[in-house]
Amino acid sequence: MGLLLVGMNHKTAPLEVRERLSLSCREDVSPLGLLKGIPSVREALYLATCNRVEILAVAADVEEARGELVDLILTHGNLPREELERCLYVHRDETAVRHLFRVAASLDSLIVGEPQILGQVKDAYRDAVDGGTTGLILNRLLHHAFRTAKRVRSETGIAGHAVSVGYAAVETAKKIFGGLRKKAVLVVGAGEMSELTARHLLKNGAERVLVANRTYARALDLARELGGEALALERLPEALMEVDIVISSTGAPGYVITREMVAGALRRRRNRLLFLIDIAVPRDIDPEAGELDNVFLYNMDDLQDVADENMRMRREEAQRAEGIVAEETERFMEWLKTLAVVPTIVALREKVEAIVAGEMERLAVRFKGMSEEDRETLEILVNSIVNKILHDPMTALKEESQEGGGQAYAAALRRLFRL
Amino acid sequence: MDATTILFLAALGSYLASTVIYGLSLRVRRVHTAKTATRVFLAAFVLHGLFMVSMAFLRGRPPLLTAHDTASFFAWTVAGVFLLFQVRTKTRVLGAFVSPLVLLLLLLAAPGTRGETVIAQNLKGPLVLAHVILSVAGEALFALASLAGAVYLLQDNLIKRRIRSPFIRYFPSLGDLDRINAACLLGGFPLLTAGLIAGSLWARVAWGDAWPLDSKLVWTLMAWLVYAFLLHQRLALGWGGRRAALYSVAAFAFLLASFFVEKALFTTIHRFS
Repeated sequence: MGLLLVGMNHKTAPLEVRERLSLSCREDVSPLGLLKGIPSVREALYLATCNRVEILAVAADVEEARGELVDLILTHGNLPREELERCLYVHRDETAVRHLFRVAASLDSLIVGEPQILGQVKDAYRDAVDGGTTGLILNRLLHHAFRTAKRVRSETGIAGHAVSVGYAAVETAKKIFGGLRKKAVLVVGAGEMSELTARHLLKNGAERVLVANRTYARALDLARELGGEALALERLPEALMEVDIVISSTGAPGYVITREMVAGALRRRRNRLLFLIDIAVPRDIDPEAGELDNVFLYNMDDLQDVADENMRMRREEAQRAEGIVAEETERFMEWLKTLAVVPTIVALREKVEAIVAGEMERLAVRFKGMSEEDRETLEILVNSIVNKILHDPMTALKEESQEGGGQAYAAALRRLFRL
Repeated sequence: MDATTILFLAALGSYLASTVIYGLSLRVRRVHTAKTATRVFLAAFVLHGLFMVSMAFLRGRPPLLTAHDTASFFAWTVAGVFLLFQVRTKTRVLGAFVSPLVLLLLLLAAPGTRGETVIAQNLKGPLVLAHVILSVAGEALFALASLAGAVYLLQDNLIKRRIRSPFIRYFPSLGDLDRINAACLLGGFPLLTAGLIAGSLWARVAWGDAWPLDSKLVWTLMAWLVYAFLLHQRLALGWGGRRAALYSVAAFAFLLASFFVEKALFTTIHRFS
């Protein structure tokens, strides 16, 4: 009996291959049904996301199951065997557990730390439970995986850092203003990037959007989309007095926002902080404007720097997360190993209990005059002797099995007690 | 060792612990660690409060009248106001600067917790208490304003110069720091003013002169004027951000300097022990 994980992800397989596999699996009868049909597979889970397709199985014979699972993927992916073999990875037992934990904790994701994957693993597990393909081991394993993911999330900052330019802008804005509530955003130039950044800011609490553009009609369009107001580019100096964040991305060759313009607005702003984001190339905002007190000017490269720095921190945090995964993997493997000797322990206990019951029966026949009270006392005594004798060997067996030597001891016990 | 001393040592130990944990959080730059430190700091604050209550009831004198007592009360107020701000702002990292200050002040206060102190006869009465409580609380708020201002200047520099430093994430936001700075100025000024008035009323009772020409009084009035100016600029001219932070640091430096200069060079009727 062992654990087996067969799959492919964004690192091992090109998109077309993953696509083909996950699509064909969905069109078919559920892949879980097919997995159920494989004789050597006891329990199974099927996970498909846009970046990975994986099958996790508990199999009586791991080697046999491996061949069967690969065959299954082969027929359903409708792929040449060579290509598929190149894309697939196979993990057994401990490495399978570690792999699952890493996937659930988002350490194996394209963007390390992205939060969706845990939900996807949970969905896959729910499907498996509904499909009746999980049992003792997978239930325990998946719950352990959820716990590990939760630990990674709360004990490391793996998901805490913005890694896109848009989020870097939001993060920097938060560090300037505290919260974005009641903050007004001015979008200058109706480009895609500025729209995206404005959306990020709005989603994080910014309240008002103004859109200024050379062609007024385009400003109106974007303002409508963002739920804001449009204004003509000429009114830029006035708008600078009102807003807190400016995103500029026009195609103009020179500076659209000059130092004088900002300095003039500042006097009327009563020193409220102003965050200028220049994502235009060539630049829209005079860099000297960023030298003014209470003005913070970030251009595309600066935001990219913030994002890069965050990426670096994420990687550092991921290192810590790997430690947690290793720890939890070890813990699960300990449990799994004791599982192998559980049947022996149960059998031994049953046998001893049967002997006790039989002997008590015979005793009752011989001593008819024995009171109920005496009988109970005697039963307690016998049980306590039996338990005390069994306690040490059973504990030893569990301990040995945690260290991996359980099989030999279990075999010896079975032979000695004729189980 | 009696209960009062035990409480004092417990508070001192907890402040030491919170200072160490805050220091650690600066090193690892994890807000998680600062959170733990803030909890310890809260415990220390409560113990410190109990110490003062026990001082008042078990030892039978309000813990406010000697220089040592004032240092302790000052520290307690700074700690309390800082904790109060934690309800509304995300600035627990500020504790990394508040906690060592409080610890230092409490260490200065330590000699005063031993044994009995004889209190001068003219230091009894509610006016003296009001004078001490109000002025010390006002100055404590100014201290916190200047700490928030100092961290503001650090953070402002990091963000403005676009320095790639993990401290940007770790330090509180400029908005929160500015709000603390403003609130402390706004609260501290009337407290100090009321404290000065109470002192003047009591001086008339004790010496028959409402404004005795005393070096400490002169220096304090000068500091009061500096703060009056700063508050005016903030409220009327809308000073904020970097400049307000800079000036509040400077103003407190002046207050502190006047305290030490006055102690070293002048004699004052404010010395009672």
